[in-house]
Amino acid sequence: MSSVAELPPSVAELIPLTLLRPGQSGTVDQVLGTGDLVHRLREMGLRRGAMIEMIRPGSPCMIRLDGHTLGIRSTELSGILVRPA
Amino acid sequence: MSIAAEPQTRTVALIGNPNTGKSTVFGALSGVQQRVGNYPGVTVEKKTGRMTVDGKRWTLIDLPGTYSLAPRSLDEMVAVDVMLGRRPDTPKPDVILCIVDANNLERNLYLVSQVLELGRPTVVALTMTDLAEDRGTTLDLPKLRERLGVPVVPIRAHKRIGLDALKTALAETATQEQPASAPESPFPEPFQGEVARIEAWLADARPGLPPLPRYLVERLLLDTSGYLEGHVALKNGNVEGLHAEILAARQRLAEAGCPVPAVEAMARYGWAASMLDGVVTRPDEPRVTSGDRVDRVLTHRVWGTLIFVAVMALIFQAVFTWSIPLMDLIDAGVGGLATLVEGVMAEGALRSLIIDGMIAGVGGVIVFLPQIFILFFFLGILEDCGYLARAAYLMDRLMTRLGLSGKSFIPLLSSFACAIPGVMATRVIEDRRDRMTTILVAPLMSCSARLPVYTLLIAAFIPPVAVAGFVSLQAMTMVAMYAVGVITAAAVAWALKKTAFKGPTPPFVMELPAYKWPSPRVVLHRMFERGWSFVRRAGTIIFAVSIVMWALLYFPRLPESTEAAFAQQIAALEDQREAADDAEAVEAIDAQIATLEARADGEQKRLSLLGRAGRVIEPVVRPLGWDWRIGAAAIASFPAREVVVATLGVIFDVGSDVEGEEGASRLQVALREAEHRDGRPLFTIPVALSIMVFFALCAQCVSTLAVIRRETNSWGWPLFCFAYMTVLAYFGAMLVYQVGTWIAA
Repeated sequence: MSSVAELPPSVAELIPLTLLRPGQSGTVDQVLGTGDLVHRLREMGLRRGAMIEMIRPGSPCMIRLDGHTLGIRSTELSGILVRPA
Repeated sequence: MSIAAEPQTRTVALIGNPNTGKSTVFGALSGVQQRVGNYPGVTVEKKTGRMTVDGKRWTLIDLPGTYSLAPRSLDEMVAVDVMLGRRPDTPKPDVILCIVDANNLERNLYLVSQVLELGRPTVVALTMTDLAEDRGTTLDLPKLRERLGVPVVPIRAHKRIGLDALKTALAETATQEQPASAPESPFPEPFQGEVARIEAWLADARPGLPPLPRYLVERLLLDTSGYLEGHVALKNGNVEGLHAEILAARQRLAEAGCPVPAVEAMARYGWAASMLDGVVTRPDEPRVTSGDRVDRVLTHRVWGTLIFVAVMALIFQAVFTWSIPLMDLIDAGVGGLATLVEGVMAEGALRSLIIDGMIAGVGGVIVFLPQIFILFFFLGILEDCGYLARAAYLMDRLMTRLGLSGKSFIPLLSSFACAIPGVMATRVIEDRRDRMTTILVAPLMSCSARLPVYTLLIAAFIPPVAVAGFVSLQAMTMVAMYAVGVITAAAVAWALKKTAFKGPTPPFVMELPAYKWPSPRVVLHRMFERGWSFVRRAGTIIFAVSIVMWALLYFPRLPESTEAAFAQQIAALEDQREAADDAEAVEAIDAQIATLEARADGEQKRLSLLGRAGRVIEPVVRPLGWDWRIGAAAIASFPAREVVVATLGVIFDVGSDVEGEEGASRLQVALREAEHRDGRPLFTIPVALSIMVFFALCAQCVSTLAVIRRETNSWGWPLFCFAYMTVLAYFGAMLVYQVGTWIAA
């Protein structure tokens, strides 16, 4: 992933949430996927503009969202694109 | 004489996100006065409690924790219907109490915005304010109250702080028929216009019916799964008409820049942000709390898993060893009661009914209580301190392979002690398909009641030799029996998820709540709640079945001549004992009397309806290597599989008291000596294995079936469970016997 980090910010702007490194945080930009799944993820707080910190990558991974720790399977998160902080 | 006014009762419904401490608030308000049942027709638990406010009686209704009021299934519909007063079995709530976690106001306000739109009087209770303070968050409560337009009461339920203020707010709000001010819709103009349009269309299409609440009309538009459309009663069943209207409306909304369903999240989070702007201030840098440091170890793939295994081993040790003295005590109490009744009542059908039917039936229920209490005591501690969610997180990777989630792990593990608490522990699984699959495979885990069966047959028939020099063959057989259950459960779970419970898995998200010290009040409360719900709900069914089984074993009686012959022989022996002078002779005569009594009992059981049933089914069980005696013992053990040991004792003339070491060995001898009618030995190693496999896989436990009936709220599922397990047990036993015989030959 180091290559992505070295790219200019305009190119490296959006990455899938699952690619965040431990301790790295980002802002949710896009939530992609089928209507119902996306809607449910949004209801749980995974919405555009939400701040996310990766605590433990993998599946299920541990993330911090709005001060809460969540365990989520990576399959569900592949459609979430974040702007790394 | 004054006219006693009926004390006015009011109703409040509790709603909130998962892990907001809603159950704690419910428990703190209602104390011990609560009832747990089920809403008819769904798997949703109906929990109600009582409290007193200013001398008035209030009913509390606890609704399932949810992130959103967006019903896409019958189960999710319950909460919305209860709050809108649309369920005939539940009184319309006077107030809705929305429990909100102060640490995650944005997401919690999403639900609040939906609740406010229901147009019912509402009170917000703010929990975990202490944790928010620790994290450096500050809140401007008066401003939040003003913006929301409803009372907002900070509480700490486990310390009982703020409860009086909450009750006062509830009492004041309940007197309003409608909320003080109609809430403003968070939705943009075009959306509201489409909702009004559909409302008008529905008014025409539903003559004579009360108008659909506005909230449900909104949901009709937002629910892309189409569930709600099928929920609306229409004149002439014009479902296509409604569907066309909705599709057209969605099309127009998409063109207007309000795509459905995304518009809801945009609108509600926008509303939440406007409510919280200037109300919440957070520290710039999130502080690393001690909980974060603990989590680094506890959720670590290696260290976390090792700690988890150690914790589970400790709990199991406690469940198995601590429960023994208590279970013995209950056994002794039940035995003492039976002896007492035996002493005061004359011999006959009534005495036998009370002792062998009723007392034994009740004893069979309450003997499980120590294990249930101990298991739920520990699970309560782990749950309340926040560890259980971490355990599920750790186990998810393993359980995903079976199509289940980490949340199924603890219920399945508990089932090794006893399937009853295991099935009850599935309540933590929100997804209905996962929960049903877990319930249906839980009884395949080898519970402690199978141990006596394994122990008896292994000790009697598996030679005590060592394989490869050090592994005992007997121990290996025991492990194999546990493995049979686990492997079958994995296969059945996988098959169920591919067929009956097929469908898109909802996103697996589990909250890992902040660590805290467990509250003794909450832990004990949960323990007793689950224990009692078992006794009350399952007890009646178990009791009834015990009496039926008693009757099947008791009737018809031996002909008087046979009975008299036995009585005469016993009387003669008793006379001899009177005359005998040395202790040795008395002992020998006592042994003879015991043998005679056991034979009389055996004759009676063979004649009984159950004994006859055993003969009728003999052709069916012959492919398993069984004769009618084993068949009858298997039928008799329907209420509880461990009964089979006692029943074998009776049928093989040893007497039912086979539990002592001496009795067990006498039974082992009797089994080894048992022969077919043609003189071949009845029990061979394949036969013993076939019986063990049968009992490893069968659903011979009426308590478990009763609990499944209670948890699934249907008779269909326990019947299905019994049927599939019996079929598996039968063919499993047949396979083992046939293959075993073929290898031996």
